[in-house]
Parts: sequence; C-alpha cells; structure tokens
Amino acid sequence: MVNLSIEERLVHYFLAMGAQQVSETATSATLTFVIGDQRVNVVVVKSDVFTQSKIIEAILGLGSLRGSSNQLYLAAPRLLGASVDAQVFRSYGVGLLLYDERRINESVPPQVLQIPQPAPLIASPQPTAIPELAELRSMYLEMKGSIAELREEIQTYRKTAVEGPVTTVNPPRPTIMPPEPVFAGSTGQLPSFFANNPWLDVLSKRGREQGEAYAG
Amino acid sequence: MALDNYRSNYTFAMDFGTSDFKFGPITCGETPRIVNNRGYFPDKKSVIYAAFESAADIVVGEDVPLYLQSAEDLSTRLIYPMRNGVIEKRDEPAWRVVNALCQYGLNSFKPTANNGFQGYYVVASLSAISPRYMYERLLEAFQQNNGNRMVRAVTIIPQPFAVAIGHGVTTCVVIESGHGNSQVCPISKYPIRAAQVALNRGGGDANAITSEILKDAGYGDLASEESLVRRVKESIGLVPGDLDTAIDEAKKSPRRFRAKYKVPGTRVEIDLEKDSWSRFLIGEYVFNPNHEIFESYFGRGMPRPKDVKMGDTVFKGMLDFGDAIVAAVERCPVELQPMLYREVLLSGGNFSWEAPERLEGVAVDAPTKIKMLLRQKGIKNVSVKMTASPQFSVWHGCIIYGFAVPEEYEWDWQRLEGWMKLSG
Repeated sequence: MVNLSIEERLVHYFLAMGAQQVSETATSATLTFVIGDQRVNVVVVKSDVFTQSKIIEAILGLGSLRGSSNQLYLAAPRLLGASVDAQVFRSYGVGLLLYDERRINESVPPQVLQIPQPAPLIASPQPTAIPELAELRSMYLEMKGSIAELREEIQTYRKTAVEGPVTTVNPPRPTIMPPEPVFAGSTGQLPSFFANNPWLDVLSKRGREQGEAYAG
Repeated sequence: MALDNYRSNYTFAMDFGTSDFKFGPITCGETPRIVNNRGYFPDKKSVIYAAFESAADIVVGEDVPLYLQSAEDLSTRLIYPMRNGVIEKRDEPAWRVVNALCQYGLNSFKPTANNGFQGYYVVASLSAISPRYMYERLLEAFQQNNGNRMVRAVTIIPQPFAVAIGHGVTTCVVIESGHGNSQVCPISKYPIRAAQVALNRGGGDANAITSEILKDAGYGDLASEESLVRRVKESIGLVPGDLDTAIDEAKKSPRRFRAKYKVPGTRVEIDLEKDSWSRFLIGEYVFNPNHEIFESYFGRGMPRPKDVKMGDTVFKGMLDFGDAIVAAVERCPVELQPMLYREVLLSGGNFSWEAPERLEGVAVDAPTKIKMLLRQKGIKNVSVKMTASPQFSVWHGCIIYGFAVPEEYEWDWQRLEGWMKLSG
C-alpha cells in the first residue's frame, strides 16, 4: 500500500463525503473544501506531544479563518483523543478529527458558522430538501386546519356572549391551563403533533373503558 | 380529557431504534435529542487510560468517538444492543449499554432543584417483536437506578403503536421497516400483538442486491464498499409497478431508463448502460423477493432471506409485503379487517423510494407498490400513507401516550401497558 501523508488522506476523506477541494493545498497545514454551499477549513496538527494549552492555542489560531469559513476542523493524532476535553472544542464551535495510521474519525462535529456573503456554490438541490418541503407542507396544512378551528371557536364564543350558552361541545383540545406552580422548562405550549390527535381522548380513558376485546 | 399541567412539562420519551436512541422531555417540542444506540467498553488496561485519566466502565452518547481505539477492538468493545430489535436475555454487555443510555438520557435533562419536580413520567419504546423478558429487564433497570428519583413512573410501548399515536390514527396497520427487519402490526386502540407478522428483510437486503448488480455491471471493486453501495441504491434504485413490464420498457428504451451515478468529488462514475433495467430489481427485492429473476442471484451465492427465530418471534424471509399485511389482518376479527385495510401506515427509511415523473406508470413510490401488492390479493379499498415525520414519529407517539394515559392506570403484565410507579 502506498504511504500517503495525513494531508492527502484528509483530502480523500473529505472527497468521499462529497466535498470538493478548493485549491491544491495538500501539502500545507490548512486544507480548504467546499461541501454543498459550506466552506470547510481543516488545520492539521502532527505532533503527539501536545499540551492542553497548546490545543487551545491551536483552536484560537483557527479564529483567523472564521471570516471565510462555515466549518472549522482541527485534525490531530488519535493519541491526543484521550487527553483532550471535547467540551473545549464544542465551546469554540471547532470540530475535531482524530487520525491514526489506519483511520480518520470525526470525534466532535463543528458548529456551522455564517460568513458575510454566502454564495451558493453548487446549484443542485440538497437531497434532504424534498422531504423537508413535504413536511413543511403538511405542517402548513395542519396549521391552516387549526386556524380554521380557532376561528370557529371564536365565532361560537361571540355567539355565546350575545345569545347565551350554546349546547354543542367542541372536541377536547390540547391547551394548557395556567401553571400552578411554575415548573422549570415550561414552554407554555404543547408541541404541534398534539393538535387534533384523537389518541388524546382514547388514551385518557385507559383503565376506565369496557370491551377492550382486541388487546393482545 | 383532563389536562395535566405537571405532565405537560415532565413527560419524557425514549425511542430505542436499531441505530439511534432518540430521547428527551415534552419541552423539547418537535424534535428530541439523538445519539447512536451503542456503547463502548474502553480497555481499562490501555496505556492511554493509565497515563491520562480514569475512564468510565462504559461510554455512551456523543463522547463515544473520543474513546474509540483500533478497528480490531470495535467488534468486541463497541456494542449496538438493538441491531436486530431484540436483545438476548443473557447478553449482559447489551443490557449494560441500555441501562447506561437510560441514565444518560435522563441526566441530560436534569431539572434544576426546588422547582416542583417530582420525577419524569417516562415512556420507552421497543420494537414490536420484543419478548416479555425485554420489558422485564428494562423496567428492572429503571427501578434499580432510581436512587436520584428522576423517574416518577415508567411504561413501555411497542414502536408501531407509538407510530400510530404520533400519526393520529386509532385503527390501522403499521409497517415499520428498518435496516435488518420489518414488522407488520395491526392497531385498534391497542396494539394487536397476536396478529403481528415479522419479516427478516430490510434496507440491508436492498444493499445486497445492489452490490450484486454492481458486480455484474463490472464495478466489482466498488461493490464491497458498504456506504457507497447504499448511496448507489438510494440514487439509482427504483420500485417497479410491475417488474416484468418495467424490465421490458427499460430494455426497449434504454436511454430513458439509463442509470448513472457519479460519486461526488471523485472521477468515479457508475453507468449501468444496457443493464439499466436492473435498477428495478433493487426496489422489487425489498417488497417481493419471489420473482424468478432473483433465483439466478441466489444461485450465484447471494444469501436468500431465511426464516429465523429471535426471541419468541419467527421472522419470515421470503414473504412479500402484500402477503405479510394480509396475514396480519386476517389474524384479527373479521368485522375489524376492512377498517384495518383502510389505513396502512409506512414508517422507516426502507420506504423512502422516489418515482421520477418521467418514468410515471413504470416506477412507483412505496405506498403505490403496497396498494398494487394488496390489489393482487383482491384487497381494493386501501389507503396507504407514509408517516409525516418518519424519524421522530415514535418519539412523538411516546410523548402523547405519556401525557394522556391516566396516572392511576397501573402496569399490567398481561396487557403490557400502564404506569409502573417508582416514586412519588
């Protein structure tokens, strides 16, 4: 097997993920790639003898690339993996790639950064865009339905105010009562998948109903 | 229904998928947190650990990659406990991973002190074919690890049941198809466990036939790279309405059906050229592997999906999806059967097949294929849908279940439902 340098192996690693190398920089310490519309910079560290302060120094050094990059990685020997704290990388938003003679692994994913004038570099749509659009469409239809129901309810309340109480009962809706006491983490709203879900009514009767003949 | 303000904050769901563990409280909103459903047992004798730190006995969650050592170690030290949906009763390492994931999930959402918190209502979800001992072991794990009183009550529900709840359909058939196997589960307000049918076929089998097609087309060198084969499958694989017609059409107009895939960032381009008709075999194999054309692949060494027994369940290898649905529905009372056929829900990545507009009528999507298979069996009044949010529908269903089921509905070992109270 041909012995490739770590820079050349990183180039192969990113190409396999569908990236394109921006310029032929396979021998310098910084590699630049484009994945979709994201610009990725990778700084390579080679020494196994590396202290915590040196790592932070290297991460801070990556700061100069923030203006021109969406994702920043530090590539370091795997031996360093056991001595570094992943939290340090997460707090700086820098990704960590660990390598040895055989493998390269993404140990900490980078945060996606915004650069001042992002230009779409590849015109083809992302493969996830179509299902996401379909999901957005179904959410939109669901919201439309909820708004129509709310309108109906408001009209009913208006009628009630003018004509006195009406006898029709609306189906139970997943709304929250005022909190008592106030719990930490309260959002004041149930997630959208609660809206018009008939299971809320079915499940709330568990243990109180007759004829559960089909249960297995 | 009576609304429970406490549970609108402190309902917690855990979905143990074959690859991912999705978890989080109701306050996560639409999307839970995800980590791989796996655990790593570090080699405590390693020089690295001796020199630098004392590592935990088992590592789960986002930090697993930081501890991985040589590739040789991975097969024994990196455990994916639910690869097949079932954990063996005495597979202690796998159960330790499950315990660790439960703790990791809860500790990731530890509420601050003195805010009225009296423990989460936890709903965990397991594969539909999980035997009773899996329920026992998991509930035992929650009981034993509740020293910090993070759990007030716990329950377990099957994944297809959670899908039906998340989708808002109370009477239906849910088909969950993952990497290794598929489950057909009728639901009528309850999961009808006695009617479930399991198949020993999933996305991995579509990869296997794609690999054979690549070999036949002269790309044998690429056929062993699993991730590439999967990408080729997703890019060129098609589901035929009728396989014979699709092959004839593709052979007549090879240009229209040409299957080409360029690996991004490389010079590698896969072009099936005159064999582009074979792209239809990929989708057909998932839904129905019984066509005689597949015999030539079995004859040349591709393993035929076998019937296997895991836990209490026999997984059928060669049953097509139409027969599997009919078999499941026909185990239910006759008066219920028409209502079950009326709502068939497809869930899982193995149903994400696209039907390009230009190949309309020849290539179809998964719901259409299931409808066609059922029509061949004489079942016509059918509605088949994909779940709106396939990745999270189980977690959504668990959250709704945990929010709505009354607190006084106690755990019942016959029904495998209800709350097991742990504190409070």
